[in-house]
Amino acid sequence: MFKTFKSILLVFLGVALFWSCESDLELQPEDNRSTAENTFDSPEAYKQFLAKLYAGLAISGQEGPAGNPDLQGLDEGFSQYLRLYWMMQELTTETAVIGWNDGTIKDLHAQNWTSGNEFIRTMYSRLMYQVALTNEFLRQTTPELLDSRGLDGAERENVAGYRAEARFLRALHYYHALDLFGNPPFVTQEDPIGAFLPEQIQSQELFDFIASELEAIEGEISPVGTSEYGRADQAALWMLQAKLYLNAEVYTGSPQYDRAMEVTQKVINSDYELVEDYQKLFLADNNENGAEQEIIFPITFDGNNTQSYGGMAFIIHAAVGGDMDPDDYGVSSGWAGLRTTSALVEQFPGEAESDDNRALFFTEGQTKEIDDISSFTDGYAVTKFKNIDVDGNPGSDGTGEFPDTDFPMFRLADAYLMYAEAHLQGGGGSLSEATNLINELRERAYGDSSNNISENDLTLDFILDERARELYWEGHRRTDRVRFGVFSDRGLWPWKGNVPQGTTTGAHRDLMPIPASDLGVNTNLTQNPGY
Amino acid sequence: MKTLFKSTLMLLLMLPMSFFAQESVSGVVSESASGLPVPGANVIVKGTTNGTTTDFDGNYTITNLESGDVLVFSFLGFATQEIPYEGQTTINVELDEDAATLEEVVLIGYGSTSEQDATGSVEKVSSESFNKGAVVSPEQLLSGKSAGVRITPSSGEPGGGGEIRIRGGSSLSGNNSPLIVVDGIPLDQRGVQGVRNQLNSINPNEIEDFVILKDAAATSIYGSRASNGVILITTKTGKKSSPLQLEYDLKVSAGRIIDKVDNLNAQEFRQLIESTPGTNPDLLGDTETDWQDEIYQTSVGAIHNLTASQGFEDFSYRVNYNHTSQTGVLKTDVYERNALNISLNQDLFDNHLKLALTTKGIVDENRFADQGAIGAAVAFDPTQPVYDESLPFGGYFEHNTVSGGRLIPQLQATRNPLALLETLDGRGKTMRNITNLNAEYKFHFLPELNFNVNAGFDYAENEGHNRRPTFAAANGLYIQEREYTQEYSGINRNTLLDFYFNYKTELEALDTEMDLTAGHSYQEFYIQNNDEFTVADDPGYRIEPTVINRNSLESYFARASFDIANKYLISGSVRRDGSSRFGGDNKWSTFPSASVGWKIHNEDFLMDSNALSELKLRAGYGVTGNQEIGINYGYLGVYSPSVGPARYQFGNQFYNTLRPEEFDAELKWEELQTYNVGIDFGFFNNRLSGTVEAYYRETEDLLATVPVPAGANLSDLLVTNVGETVSKGVEVGLNGTIIQKEDFNWDMNYNITFQDLEITRLSLGENPDFFIPQGGISGGVGNNIQIWKEGYDPSTFFVFRQVYNEAGQPIEGAYADVNGDNEITEADKVPYKKANPDYFMGFTNTMNYKNLDFSFTFRGSFGNYMYNNTQSGNGFVTAGTVTPQDYYSNLNSNVLESNFVNNQFFSDYYIQKADFVKLDNISIGYLFPGDKVDFRTSLTATNVWTITDYEGLDPEISNGIDNNFYPRSTNVVLGLNLIF
Repeated sequence: MFKTFKSILLVFLGVALFWSCESDLELQPEDNRSTAENTFDSPEAYKQFLAKLYAGLAISGQEGPAGNPDLQGLDEGFSQYLRLYWMMQELTTETAVIGWNDGTIKDLHAQNWTSGNEFIRTMYSRLMYQVALTNEFLRQTTPELLDSRGLDGAERENVAGYRAEARFLRALHYYHALDLFGNPPFVTQEDPIGAFLPEQIQSQELFDFIASELEAIEGEISPVGTSEYGRADQAALWMLQAKLYLNAEVYTGSPQYDRAMEVTQKVINSDYELVEDYQKLFLADNNENGAEQEIIFPITFDGNNTQSYGGMAFIIHAAVGGDMDPDDYGVSSGWAGLRTTSALVEQFPGEAESDDNRALFFTEGQTKEIDDISSFTDGYAVTKFKNIDVDGNPGSDGTGEFPDTDFPMFRLADAYLMYAEAHLQGGGGSLSEATNLINELRERAYGDSSNNISENDLTLDFILDERARELYWEGHRRTDRVRFGVFSDRGLWPWKGNVPQGTTTGAHRDLMPIPASDLGVNTNLTQNPGY
Repeated sequence: MKTLFKSTLMLLLMLPMSFFAQESVSGVVSESASGLPVPGANVIVKGTTNGTTTDFDGNYTITNLESGDVLVFSFLGFATQEIPYEGQTTINVELDEDAATLEEVVLIGYGSTSEQDATGSVEKVSSESFNKGAVVSPEQLLSGKSAGVRITPSSGEPGGGGEIRIRGGSSLSGNNSPLIVVDGIPLDQRGVQGVRNQLNSINPNEIEDFVILKDAAATSIYGSRASNGVILITTKTGKKSSPLQLEYDLKVSAGRIIDKVDNLNAQEFRQLIESTPGTNPDLLGDTETDWQDEIYQTSVGAIHNLTASQGFEDFSYRVNYNHTSQTGVLKTDVYERNALNISLNQDLFDNHLKLALTTKGIVDENRFADQGAIGAAVAFDPTQPVYDESLPFGGYFEHNTVSGGRLIPQLQATRNPLALLETLDGRGKTMRNITNLNAEYKFHFLPELNFNVNAGFDYAENEGHNRRPTFAAANGLYIQEREYTQEYSGINRNTLLDFYFNYKTELEALDTEMDLTAGHSYQEFYIQNNDEFTVADDPGYRIEPTVINRNSLESYFARASFDIANKYLISGSVRRDGSSRFGGDNKWSTFPSASVGWKIHNEDFLMDSNALSELKLRAGYGVTGNQEIGINYGYLGVYSPSVGPARYQFGNQFYNTLRPEEFDAELKWEELQTYNVGIDFGFFNNRLSGTVEAYYRETEDLLATVPVPAGANLSDLLVTNVGETVSKGVEVGLNGTIIQKEDFNWDMNYNITFQDLEITRLSLGENPDFFIPQGGISGGVGNNIQIWKEGYDPSTFFVFRQVYNEAGQPIEGAYADVNGDNEITEADKVPYKKANPDYFMGFTNTMNYKNLDFSFTFRGSFGNYMYNNTQSGNGFVTAGTVTPQDYYSNLNSNVLESNFVNNQFFSDYYIQKADFVKLDNISIGYLFPGDKVDFRTSLTATNVWTITDYEGLDPEISNGIDNNFYPRSTNVVLGLNLIF
């Protein structure tokens, strides 16, 4: 017995000593993760990192549709950029209500949110997360670092272009932060990564930063027609400039409609053109059915490759419920959440039966007025976005869970409306051109010129309404209402202020509150007035 | 080698000799002090394997003797006697209590001390005081036995693990479970993959004792893993010089749940749906089904232990085989364990070298039930049938719809609970080996100096699968197309090498005993896991990339203890730990401790006291750490590639992405400072003894997952050093022998613990209103019911204050407007009550009358509250009527009391008092002594009786949120034990 025991002993001691020799406290990842140093040994890493910056708009983590999320403070599906941005922009206005019981989600439409609202918080976190990602990209692609890694040739040139796109995306995120929060924390690639307290920036300074960044990269970003689908080109940059300048008075106190007009014209004069059928813009094949010639900057989704429970999956699934057959929308099931109020329905002459083909509502079994926000059948459902192609075939994901439909973040029709508005605000251009552009949209909507407007009809109030008809559910409404001064202390629609007929709320709600959680952590921050 | 040779030779020589020598002797072994017989004492012929043990009355007979043999009489706690055999027919022996061995030896980590000389808070719980019953996991043996140790038993799942908290734990996001050291190997605090409870690898039958180290003076020798206390588990070994003993032990158990969630029955449900406007009663079925009755069953289990042990002069062994099988009260839940424990001890070179090998091989097999069935059973429409052969779902009824001409399950609906269980084939198998080799060498030239080396190895390999057939409605989207399959596997490896020198001597000039220890330890943990599964959008499998995590710890440690004049004790220790989880200057940290003790009973003025047998004062201070923060590269920026459909389209190509991960280069150790004072006392020769202890602890640089300042890092939450907590408590433990007579003995153990834990700082900033929501609940996404906030216990609830009408009915949606702004917003939520108890206690009685023994254990907990999520989640009308598809959900009967229409998740109406007293365990046994065989039989009932006001199923749920809790069963256990 001892003999066996002795050999066990020897083997054991031998192995044990071998291990002890390996004694090591400097351990690095051994699986598919790696340090920055090792990651950028491979030149493809730069484009993959760039893909992450864009993907941040569409998906919520590294596993798709869910798993290994970017943000951990909220359920992954809810934490997705587009889903949150859409909720901030649409649920807070007359265009959308949601029936679910998730946390404080109903406070968005009731306009009684507080600084503890987790959706506002996560929007804020998501925006700043994306900024931090782009900063990291800029840190990892400095010429000095690229030199030291020996990157040259075509890939070196490509990376220079990627840097411009990263700066464009950072400007986009900061623009959203400016629009929603006014005075967010401000970090650039000069800041470290850690647990430090970023400084707060005031909206005027942030406006100037975004404007100067966009000017600086205009020449470095791909001209229209030369970029890959899905990546930002100069027109995307001009659209962002147009939005920034159109809203300049809100952000800085002084209007810049002339600059808005200038960049809007650049967009209109570019190669983008309206697609003939409005509905095509919101279908599964909108990246190739002709809509891609109107969509200037999409957030792309793909049923088999780009999956998330946020984004288009949310916008399409959540809008399906009641008597609606999910098959008609190319999805497996409805999540029975989103509807609209009578205020949007009534924008269309003839309401749900309007000749305006932009009135895409489902009414069977639904009531126009909302008695109970929780009940899906209260309020008309909206059928604008679908996961079917022009021929009615469902998207590529056989299970009907994840749509192919891309989200048109910027499209040409918006530029037409901005031109008209900038003109009416004294930004230049001509009234006849403005009227023509609006009538192009209306001819597409009605199929003929019977509902065209005259130059006298073109007023600012008309523009606000026409923007609702053309652009509802595309993530513009809150910004538009704030610019027109009819978001909070003016403007009424059902269930605003949490009463059925609607009531006004405090003017401070034009800005979202800085989340209490960040105020608690970052003592450099001051809350927005009124919260 | 020489010794083995000698004993083999002796055996060979003795074999023929036995033909000549036929003499025998018999007698009685008794205690010298009381004259009581000593059962189970060893009688052995010195230098041979010839021996026996005394029976219940102390009688023994030993044969095959020849003149000149030496008989050795031994029994634990008594001085061994050697009596030469010279032809006597009777040898009666009176054994004297051995003062040296009476001072029980307790392990203290890298060494041992006597209970008398311990200066830290150290408690030993030995096998005789363990909880009885069909115990599958070791921590259940301890439940209710030790002050300051709260063991929340596992839920009702077979082989489930309980939660152990020593002094309430110290961390927020870090691990709060104690470090568990089994025969010298510190286990991975994260557990191993694929098992329900990693401690199931330690067969409860084979545990000799637990030593619980509570305060920092005792634990800081374990440095960075010691903040939550340490439990040292020692398994049984063979005794030297003892005859071959075979033991067979069987425990057969049966259990059932004694209560169900109080739901609407089919009639009540139909009535409610029919009376609610806007509903469509056509969606209801026409049967009556109690879904909870459908999913629960009577559980059965059996535990077999077969043990052989034998001891020679220099060598002993113990071999145990265990087979455990148990079904759950939830159908399809099964746990099975096959384990072999081997322990070998060899002394060499005149006891100068002692070798000990313990190895445990465990095959742990599970069938995992789909626990989603528990929630489904309380929500599923009770008017629907269990089976419906006309539907294409394998004969089960499911809420269904037609889509694309196909009959499919309604994807958003609750699934048939029984189908969830019966269609899941979820099995896993883990094979684990824990081996430890210990060599202790007493230097020949300096016997006071010991060298101790310990090599440990804990390796586990697991594999398993989850499958559902094509017809299972739970497959959702791909129903009928293909079966759902998931295959997973993994490896956990934990290797250890430590050694230390120990030098013990008496400095006579100073009348001082000195005990010095110094050593080094290196431990490495390696975890690998693989996962592949069917996914909806892919014709084949998705194969997740292999995830590998490795981390290591290197340590130097030293301890010095002095016992001056057998009165004054001084002890100090220091440990320096290096961890691969931290970088730069933070990699290494030092954890010191110091403690003193005063043995007052050895002072002259007390020496003669008859009443007082022990009185010792202790005080200690120490620093410990916690590095179980869940992440391995938290100080290092790493990049993760995306996997699966997380690609982004550029042109016509889809690109996988690369994500930089959040990190904090400044990440450092969490440090806990503990102050502890204690008094140990014993009266009447320790017939009544006890300990009173008080502690104060401060955790600094608390590692917590907190919101990171937006923009400062690459995530919204970050594990970083933030905040402080303070905890304090008083612990009292009393042991008494109430009656001590020849035929009757009655022992009692009582302990009570008062605890208070408070967060004193939480954020990087200084905002006192800052809080972090915690404690996710069921009902809506992102809803939390607890908060972390300065000034509060970390399990504090955060709720609206419900307003009641005159009749005492809650008024729906009416809450106290705390901030007075005439609006009810979440700014009106307040911290209210907590889940942690203010105090808890355990009370055990053990009685022996002749061969009959009887014991029972009560446990109680007070000041703890529960969020009744079972009521809040299903206790309002629209939870049943407003559903995303064409079906209705059953409701909690509480809806008939509250009359709530919409959810009131955050009402304090659902925060319910959960004080309880439980009769945990009651056991009766009888021993039939025999000549060749001792036979003991016992009957035990566990989880017998609960006294509580709490309205839900069970008031004891560790996080304080009662949500679809797997109910604990009440068990009856029949035990049989045979000793040959």
